Amino acid sequence: MIGKVLIANRGEIAVRIIRACREMGIETVAVYSEADREALHTQLADEAICIGPAPSSESYLNMQNIISATLVSGADAIHPGFGFLSENSRFAELCEQCNITFIGPDSEVIRKLGNKSEARNTMMNAGVPVIPGSKDPIYDAEEGAKIAAEIGYPVIVKAALGGGGKGMRVAETPEEFENSFKTAQKEAQMAFGDNTMYIEHFVQHPRHIEFQIMADKHGNVIHLGERDCSIQRNHQKMIEESPSIALTPELREKMGEAAVKAAKAAHYTNAGTIEFLLEKNGNFYFMEMNTRIQVEHPVTEWVTGIDLVKEQIRIADGRPLSYKQEDVHITGHAIECRINAENPEKNFRPSPGTITDMYLPGGKGVRIDSAIYSGYTVPPYYDSMLAKLIVHAKNRSEAIRKMRSALGEVIIEGIDTNVDYQYEILNHPDFISGNIDIEFIAQMSENSENGE
Amino acid sequence: MKLQNMFKKTSQRAHYIALRNSRPEVPEGLLRKCNKCGAAIIAEDVKNGYYICPKCHGYFRVHAYRRVEMLADEGSFEEWDKEMDFVNPLDFKGYEDKINALKERTRLNEAVVTGKITINGNPAVIGVCDGRFLMASMGWIVGEKITRAVERATAEKLPVIIFTCSGGARMQEGIVSLMQMEKTSAALKRHSDAGQLYISVLTDPTTGGVTASFAMLGDIILAEPKALIGFAGPRVIEQTIGQKLPKGFQRSEFLLDHGFVDRIVEREELKDVLTQILSAHSEKGFKDHELKAAAGSFEKAQQDESLSAWDRVQLSRKKDRPVGTDYINALFTDFMEFHGDRYFKDDHAIVGGIARFHGMPVTVIAQAKGKTTKENLDRNFSMPSPDGYRKALRLMKQAEKFGRPVICFVDTPGAFCGLEAEERGQAEAIARNLFELSGLKVPVLSVVIGEGGSGGALAMAVADEVWMLENSIYSVLSPEGFASILWKDSKRASEAAEVMKLTAGDLKKLGIVEQVIAEPEDFTDENMEPVCVELEVQIMDFIERYEKLGAEELVEKRYQRFRRM
Repeated sequence: MIGKVLIANRGEIAVRIIRACREMGIETVAVYSEADREALHTQLADEAICIGPAPSSESYLNMQNIISATLVSGADAIHPGFGFLSENSRFAELCEQCNITFIGPDSEVIRKLGNKSEARNTMMNAGVPVIPGSKDPIYDAEEGAKIAAEIGYPVIVKAALGGGGKGMRVAETPEEFENSFKTAQKEAQMAFGDNTMYIEHFVQHPRHIEFQIMADKHGNVIHLGERDCSIQRNHQKMIEESPSIALTPELREKMGEAAVKAAKAAHYTNAGTIEFLLEKNGNFYFMEMNTRIQVEHPVTEWVTGIDLVKEQIRIADGRPLSYKQEDVHITGHAIECRINAENPEKNFRPSPGTITDMYLPGGKGVRIDSAIYSGYTVPPYYDSMLAKLIVHAKNRSEAIRKMRSALGEVIIEGIDTNVDYQYEILNHPDFISGNIDIEFIAQMSENSENGE
Repeated sequence: MKLQNMFKKTSQRAHYIALRNSRPEVPEGLLRKCNKCGAAIIAEDVKNGYYICPKCHGYFRVHAYRRVEMLADEGSFEEWDKEMDFVNPLDFKGYEDKINALKERTRLNEAVVTGKITINGNPAVIGVCDGRFLMASMGWIVGEKITRAVERATAEKLPVIIFTCSGGARMQEGIVSLMQMEKTSAALKRHSDAGQLYISVLTDPTTGGVTASFAMLGDIILAEPKALIGFAGPRVIEQTIGQKLPKGFQRSEFLLDHGFVDRIVEREELKDVLTQILSAHSEKGFKDHELKAAAGSFEKAQQDESLSAWDRVQLSRKKDRPVGTDYINALFTDFMEFHGDRYFKDDHAIVGGIARFHGMPVTVIAQAKGKTTKENLDRNFSMPSPDGYRKALRLMKQAEKFGRPVICFVDTPGAFCGLEAEERGQAEAIARNLFELSGLKVPVLSVVIGEGGSGGALAMAVADEVWMLENSIYSVLSPEGFASILWKDSKRASEAAEVMKLTAGDLKKLGIVEQVIAEPEDFTDENMEPVCVELEVQIMDFIERYEKLGAEELVEKRYQRFRRM
């Protein structure tokens, strides 16, 4: 039985985990770096142990110190949160070797899913759709055209040694193929001295749809619906919502089944996320599986009513899932905005510093997960996320209105934040109508540069 | 707002009964403590990381077989003399039991492992001392195994690499232990006389009779960082002289500074460095004759006739003029710097080592001005001390032993003028170089690239040919010195420059130098390419011409060159 948990993380997720433990009557141990003495998680936990200097490599990534802190404090489990060591199979293995319960999947599962090609093969074998592509290297256009036809247009031709967009060409139709292939190959030869090519189906303007999975150690796997995380900047998610406006109940069932199949194929346990790319035509492809709790987990919590962190701890403790698939119902609509200490006008430059004054909204259907307080100094060493603002309402348009209202109340003085930028997105006609894909932010900033 | 002790803690403990029969604990051997920084480290990381602490980068001692594993191509190790019968020359009581217990514990048969390996395809005889076995002290078996390995290497014409680590003599074997020092040294002398290579690699700790014999006899002496290396142990010295020793005393870096170590090599790079050294000693001749640029692809700079001698003096001293290291980088590949004179110091005013010229191993030595004030202070403005000349001579003698041409770059205001330089025999050092260089049995080329200041320059310009860059100078002393001696007025330096005949053109006419290489206007390291292309063509031609000559003919030709002067 888990009686004491060490939280190997910082910021709002550490606070979130401490709260879950406290409600469960489990004692908590925070670990902190020298820069985090005043941090909320350090103060909130029952005990706190300093694990090293400010740089994460010497503190939050310092496996030996974290293991030592666990033993010294008498904790019997570690919750890794997200980022840092959460998907480090080496760390999970160390915990296993030291008889410490790692609140997450087995180290072997983490390792396998962390290896891109191994994960892809596992999914392919399990019948989960992956982006179709050529298995063997291709050297001439004629052979390539045959394979492209099998894969299905549009296709993208990629150099084996490619990078930086060099040696990459899209062919929308079979007519374009030969030309695209030859240009890409020529470029590859020039740039990398190698003309080995691969062909992949080109996924155009997809949405990022991910499914939350829960799996216990008794072979039960359920999914808790999807999250639409298409609003992202440089692969950094900014806004997440659940459910996705793009999914019909049929598609949700189909994707959910694929997600469960994927988790089963990986022998997965604990909370995990299967990321898919969804095309406009309804085709979806497995991208990767995240083997941790995610930043955006609150939107799922709100529409399903399930506390994911508590469930994680129960699963790690060996207990069966508290819910069956038929118990999971999606109710209403939830949206999350990430509030970061950064300046959107200066290319999102991080803005650490002291928060001189602040006010955060509340009220029905408004949730704040944060680790900031008035007088808190945001250190420059870590991720710039300050808080997550999550709203829940009976439908999407009401949720958007609620989010706008809540964002309008957020006051954080002393440092720059992206609150106004988020507000802008919430007012964007395409966002309101749900006409979004992963290029949304890129296009929005392009348009604003062109003065549109 | 301060939050200390503001929050209520978990009050209602879950009434869990500890059902687990085992509490979290670290299994034996999973973690270890670094004996240098004290940090807890994962044992496997150490094993996979060359036995270096991932935290403080401190080096752990490496077991002999692990060391072999780290270097040898897979499956290439063939162990020699693995089983040796125990000897107890003094019938020392309890010695045999002690050895037997150690054999059991370490699974070694003695304190050294010898045999043959290949390192990236280069064959070598290897000896590795293991500190777990009576601190790798040298008794009869250690001495015998090393001697046998060296003898066999000499016979099979193979290089020898010995990783040293030792507390010194094996006390239990008394005087017999002492005799191992002479035995191993004598075997290495024969190996050396047969023209064969010996590399010693000093690891922590190398002390006593091992240091005072085979450890210090390498043609090339490498050391691991921060290894303790010395004759008497630091504790003994402290007790004897009644003084505290300075920090870093007797460490690799101290020895490098004092001229006894060629190079400190990080463990990760050791295999590459050894490969490079071995191949530079086994390969001969050019790998290619392709010149960087075809002749005529650069417009050959025209010699500028309009400059006065004094103009050229100033150009030769110009701060942004290319320096010795620029030429080394531009003309050669795989340059490996070697340090130290093996007597007192490593003089930074002279940079030398082995490099490749179109694949051919050559010895390159440059008098090195710096590019910044800081660098110039470190390099003493390229004014060599006796230690520098002795280092140059050592490298040249090594070139002779291994049949490598020597290429020198001369650029010095003069030999360093100072108290310490005189104490250590500046004049002797210069004289010795003139003496030895005149008879060196490999081709020697000297190129004056800036200032050729008197005897300080000459000590590196006793060569088969001496070339000068157009605006370099070469003279018996500086024009300032000349003016003040002859005319008691150093301000008349420009006048002196005109009469001294110190420009490249003048010296060519006088027959002092063989070639003048034209320079572009405003010569800096930015526009040195045409000069390097010209030098490359000429050096290739020089080596081809002189390599053909037999040693006797070469030395005779050089002698006749001096007789014309």
